[in-house]
Amino acid sequence: MESSIGKVFKYLTILALIIASLWLVVLLKFIIALIVVSAVIAYILDPIASYMEAHGLSRMQATLLIFFSLGLTIALLFYLLVPSLLIELNFLQEGIGGSQASELINKLEQTIHKTIPVLSGQDLNLYEKLQGSLQNLAQSFFTIIVDIVSVLSTSIIIPFAVFFILKDGRKMKKNLVSVIPNKYFEMFLNLVHKVDLQLGGYLRGQFLDSLIIGLLAIIALWILGIKYFVLIGIFAGLANMIPYVGPLSGMVMAVSVVFLNNGSGQEIAWVLVAFAIIQLIDNVLVQPLVLARSVNLHPLIIIFAIIIGGEFFGIIGMLIAIPVTGILKVLSIEIYQSIKRFNLI
Amino acid sequence: MTEDPVWSNIFKRNKVQEENIFSVLKRLPIFQDLSYKELKAIERILHRRTYKADEVIFKEYEPGVGMYIIESGKVNITLGKENKLLVLLSTGDFFGEMALILEGQRTASASATEPTKLLGFFQPDLFNLLETSPKTGNKILQRLAQMIAERLRLGTIENRQLKTRMNQMKSKLDELKDK
Repeated sequence: MESSIGKVFKYLTILALIIASLWLVVLLKFIIALIVVSAVIAYILDPIASYMEAHGLSRMQATLLIFFSLGLTIALLFYLLVPSLLIELNFLQEGIGGSQASELINKLEQTIHKTIPVLSGQDLNLYEKLQGSLQNLAQSFFTIIVDIVSVLSTSIIIPFAVFFILKDGRKMKKNLVSVIPNKYFEMFLNLVHKVDLQLGGYLRGQFLDSLIIGLLAIIALWILGIKYFVLIGIFAGLANMIPYVGPLSGMVMAVSVVFLNNGSGQEIAWVLVAFAIIQLIDNVLVQPLVLARSVNLHPLIIIFAIIIGGEFFGIIGMLIAIPVTGILKVLSIEIYQSIKRFNLI
Repeated sequence: MTEDPVWSNIFKRNKVQEENIFSVLKRLPIFQDLSYKELKAIERILHRRTYKADEVIFKEYEPGVGMYIIESGKVNITLGKENKLLVLLSTGDFFGEMALILEGQRTASASATEPTKLLGFFQPDLFNLLETSPKTGNKILQRLAQMIAERLRLGTIENRQLKTRMNQMKSKLDELKDK
């Protein structure tokens, strides 16, 4: 038996440890974010490594092979896309300020006032909003791309971390399980496995889906000769993770770019057609194949999650809102079921 | 007393003296087809757990997801609230392998009777193995299936014997009633 003083001391120590670790988390925010990103990337790549292992490679060889092919792909992408991306971003920052653009947006505002009487009383300030959001987007892209220090550290740390997590992930998992007390150990192991099954399918599916849609959008816009095609394509791919809102916003962005560059109605129509086709391909072909094991979320929950995500972390928050909600849902259901099955409540 | 076909180790072989982990693993029926290299891989994925004397390993009716191998020490397998002792297992024995195939409730409780070291092998590990080295995984699966079939056969024989005895009792009872 412990004395009560000993108990209090123990709890205080635990509390102090928790506070200290939280403080550390805040201090090391950047590094932790990098590690999380690396873990997610490694997690997405894991089945590929397992597949290679099953075909006779060692884990080390599989990891190296994946790395070399990824490195080549990324180098190629950089070589092809980065110059045009930088030019696009520069254009974007200057291009929005044009007087033609403001006239067009004013026109747009008037049409909206006429067609939607509900909004007629309000001043929409579309121009400022659009300018603000585009500037923000460009700015955030810029900070990511131009900030040499973070780029260097990111481009060194992330591959390094991904490599080791991919190679030794199973050992790490085993070590994590080994510190769980005997009483909960089997339950924990099972929980990790269940969550892994659901989450793995979900994350990999989302990632693949976004990648395919992004590529399709880039190709389609490139064929149509739209300005900023790389940027819009990337955005459309990322936005595709957001149900309902995402596919639309990619389209809206493309249309508004055409609009701002004094595109003809025909061009706009083509862009709309292109996006409609991409959406069709996504809904009929890609999603049924890729998102077979997706997490079903109620539309209401999706909308709320997007709003909350946007409220806290802006555009990035909106992007990660649905995956995070999916993760939380899977986790909470599995934890609840495990606890119930093991009669802990 | 006839041995309980599910919980006692009916597959036990003659004890080998040197008790390193490989000889323990090699003696297990589910790993007996594996090469030294494969055993090494298995040894890497097994979970090593240490239990104090009288510590519960699992309770009856808890969901189970795998088996335990006794590396050293002794384990009591008991049944029900009154802890009726089914069998006492020792080094080199294993228990709970049914849960590897069928995720379900444990049909008995297990607790360590002295400081015990166990090796855990669980469903997720087996699935991973089937994914990364299908050959090894299939060897294990085949042995598991054989063991379960063997247990079923023994259980069926026991069941039949019980039925005949019950019928004998019944006829005796009827005779007594007639008198």
